[in-house]
Amino acid sequence: MTTPILEIRNLHARIEEREILKGVNLTIPAGQVHAVMGRNGSGKSTLSYVLAGKEDYEVTEGEILLNGENILEMEPAERAVAGIFLAFQYPIEIPGVATMTFLKAAMNAQRKARGEGELSTPDFMRAVKEAGAQLNIDADMLKRPLNVGFSGGEKKRAEILQMALLKPTLCVLDETDSGLDIDALQVVSKGVNALRADNRSMLVITHYQRLLNHIVPDVVHVFSDGRIVESGDKDLALQLEAKGYADFDGAAA
Amino acid sequence: MRQTMPVRLGAAEDTLIAQLKSVGADATAERITVAGLPTRRVESYHYTDLKTLLRSIPPLAQAANEASAPALRVPGAYQLMIANGVIQSASTAPAGVIVGKAAGGVLTTRDDVLVHLNGAFARESLTLTLENSVDPVIQIDRRSEGEAAHVADSLKVFVADGASAVILETFSGSDAAHVGNHATYMVLGKNAVVTHITIDLSPRSASHFASNEYHVGEGAKLRTLVIHAGAGLARTQLFPRYEGAGAHGDITGLNLVVDGQHADITMDASHAVPHTSSQPLFKSVARGRGKAVVQGKLVVARDAQKTDAKFMHQGLMLSDEAEILSKPELEIYADDVVCGHGSTCGKLDEDSMFYLTSRGIPKDQAETMLVRGFIEELVDPIEDEALAEALHGIVDGWLLGK
Repeated sequence: MTTPILEIRNLHARIEEREILKGVNLTIPAGQVHAVMGRNGSGKSTLSYVLAGKEDYEVTEGEILLNGENILEMEPAERAVAGIFLAFQYPIEIPGVATMTFLKAAMNAQRKARGEGELSTPDFMRAVKEAGAQLNIDADMLKRPLNVGFSGGEKKRAEILQMALLKPTLCVLDETDSGLDIDALQVVSKGVNALRADNRSMLVITHYQRLLNHIVPDVVHVFSDGRIVESGDKDLALQLEAKGYADFDGAAA
Repeated sequence: MRQTMPVRLGAAEDTLIAQLKSVGADATAERITVAGLPTRRVESYHYTDLKTLLRSIPPLAQAANEASAPALRVPGAYQLMIANGVIQSASTAPAGVIVGKAAGGVLTTRDDVLVHLNGAFARESLTLTLENSVDPVIQIDRRSEGEAAHVADSLKVFVADGASAVILETFSGSDAAHVGNHATYMVLGKNAVVTHITIDLSPRSASHFASNEYHVGEGAKLRTLVIHAGAGLARTQLFPRYEGAGAHGDITGLNLVVDGQHADITMDASHAVPHTSSQPLFKSVARGRGKAVVQGKLVVARDAQKTDAKFMHQGLMLSDEAEILSKPELEIYADDVVCGHGSTCGKLDEDSMFYLTSRGIPKDQAETMLVRGFIEELVDPIEDEALAEALHGIVDGWLLGK
């Protein structure tokens, strides 16, 4: 059997004294899209932050393997270079840094860390233009400071643009549907679907089944109180939508 | 009962007194003899105690024999140089610029030791009269050259009604314990538009003092940008006075300090007539045990109704030992005004750092990006591209060099 892209084993994590992840087990083989659904406060977003390496969280037990390699000791930048990309639920506004400048810095930093040469300006411009066109992102938006004054839709499209340019092996999408109207949801979903590939996996975190109509998952997991309590195919999302989370929480207790 | 205690004078004060007497400035010598250099007990020097910080004064400057490399070149700029207080002959001035000299200093007398000292020591002042709008950046390259010297120089600029100009002043020189005391006096005529940038690029061994006095006329717009990025001890004093309806000032400044540096921007602004406005915005970035000070005083005269002024100072601490001190003051005698002040200070935002590093950008590079972003608000309004690029170069040099 080939090594899965992501393997999480008995992951426990806490912030300050509060334990939030209480034994997460999750394996995503190459090429698959897995959805994690759960109510507010169940620990879904924490899982995404812990994957990306946010310092506020302390992993107390367990392992995260990316392509078979433990990444827990890695800094966020090293994890990005190793292939993790987190599309933020609330992308951070960075005043004074033009989006274009940021994109170039991120791409070149990853290339440098992998021992590749810097992108030439024409190659960079071409890559951004191509990726941007699919997401309705024009040059004007790229000149603005990163995420500053972007609408909800613009922020999410900019996240997917970064994802397209950085070509990660594991995409973690944290509530990518939040703050999106139907049109924007379609543009973003299309962008995400275009990035589905045999050598890339995705973890899609969401409240609502709606997003999963657009980004159809191979496996759906129900998250409750810091762990996965149920897994199934995409129909599980429909059941959740119909019955609510209570049934599944009950089963977990 | 009040006792008059004689002030104990230090070596710096003794030298100053002797130097003042040698140029016949007996009144100023007497003041120093009685009061000494200001200590923290003097409100306007509370955070910059000159008696403690200024331990010695080098000999008065002689004409320079050699010049170090220019600290900043802006392509296309018209350059004038003052070296060790002596105005150097200049190339042909652009159309509408009249260059001249006048004897003595330029500042209006006020109760301030740096102003007094400049008035006593500045032998001649460079005068610029701008009769109409001037396209090229005008750069005044002020130097302290040779052995450690006490240098005083002064500049007077008249900007005619409706004229616009960008005036850049740079302060630099040889690596020696110079004490520079610089003055600029600027008058903006009706509807004049001026950008005045002063950048201290002196060596760390030097002490840099500058006092800039502005008279902003009716409908005139002044933008200033002070950058402290050189001397071990730096203080720039800004004295804008809004004298005509519609006068506006974007008074901005930036302290960049590393371990062992002390930089102070002190503004004392006067809204003298009705319907004037100002937006003072200062930023400080401190590393190591660096110390940055911003004092901002807005004085609104009794008659100056409808004044709209807001002072802001934002500090960014890049180490636990850094110190950033902020003192806003409002002195309002009118009753129908909108005035305010704000001050923030903090470290780099952790969420922003996480966001950038989660994209693969290493920590130190992410930090540089965020600091550059923090400062950008001050550089962004500079329209001249070559000048903006030069300013970015200074900021980047500071960020990457230390």
